[in-house]
Amino acid sequence: MENKNQQNDLILNEIGYLAKIRDAEMTILERMKIKRATKYHIVGAITIYSITMLTFTILLP
Amino acid sequence: MIELIPVIIILAFLFETMDSCAGMGFGTGLTPLLLLMGYEPLQIVPILLISEAITGFTSGFFHHEFENVNFRIKKPLNKETKIMFMIAGIGCLAIILSVFLTYYAIQLSKNIIQTYVAILVFAMGIIAMFKLKSKSSSYKPKLLTIFSGLAGFNKGIGAGGYGPVVMLGQIFSGIYEKTATAIASLSEGIVCVAGVAAFVLVPVITSQPIEIDFILLPSIFTGGFFAAVISPYLVRVFPNKIWRIVIPVYAIGIGIYLLVKIYVL
Repeated sequence: MENKNQQNDLILNEIGYLAKIRDAEMTILERMKIKRATKYHIVGAITIYSITMLTFTILLP
Repeated sequence: MIELIPVIIILAFLFETMDSCAGMGFGTGLTPLLLLMGYEPLQIVPILLISEAITGFTSGFFHHEFENVNFRIKKPLNKETKIMFMIAGIGCLAIILSVFLTYYAIQLSKNIIQTYVAILVFAMGIIAMFKLKSKSSSYKPKLLTIFSGLAGFNKGIGAGGYGPVVMLGQIFSGIYEKTATAIASLSEGIVCVAGVAAFVLVPVITSQPIEIDFILLPSIFTGGFFAAVISPYLVRVFPNKIWRIVIPVYAIGIGIYLLVKIYVL
């Protein structure tokens, strides 16, 4: 039973642990500086939106 | 010609922002509102499923990109990906069952079911509020399986409340809030693909064609898509302690909203 609890605690460390570590002791501004949306994210999102809307225009009655 | 309705775009944007930030509320919150605005169920339900399928994958991708979660598609799958597939798998079975139940018109008292979902979501929100003080809890896989099944059951009886139960169930099971949101978003995307497939296939199997009205799709997709891109960034930037409060408070709000909708409006 104890072994199982230890195993579950180890898994807890694995589930979301990267996000948890990155969050530690950081302000909102620091997080904004560390991880920004790149131009690839923005261009990618606009492209997917445009393609989907074009598909709707063609397919929808 | 595609018609964009500004009010619908704004509503979809707001509800999808909360859905991608708190893991719940798009279907549960937007459906009753659109019904009140005079739209028919067949103008709403399939459209929300199509929109959620696209925005769920978009939101899941951006959650991964902004490092709220680490999904790994290549083998061996990591725990986060396995949990996501488990929740999505149960949800897929449930949504197919839900569409079949709708078709075979099994008589369930709608008010009683909706009241049960509203009270369940409200109670889970309250319990989550009481758990705010505990710093961390150990991972409870059995509990997570039970909550996934409970959420699937809710979806199966077609009364909403899938997102809140999946989301709060993950938190009760010891999963970090930001990661739980990401898992809920992507699994919801997969579940909605199954939902769309069921809407296409069930009429073919039962030989009962249905007329789906797509008028709301471009507006709901437009609002939902941009919210699905922005929200993972908000989740990343704001500290987890904010989401620990926002998620249960929002769940309590959804519970109250559903009760008001059933007994007042």
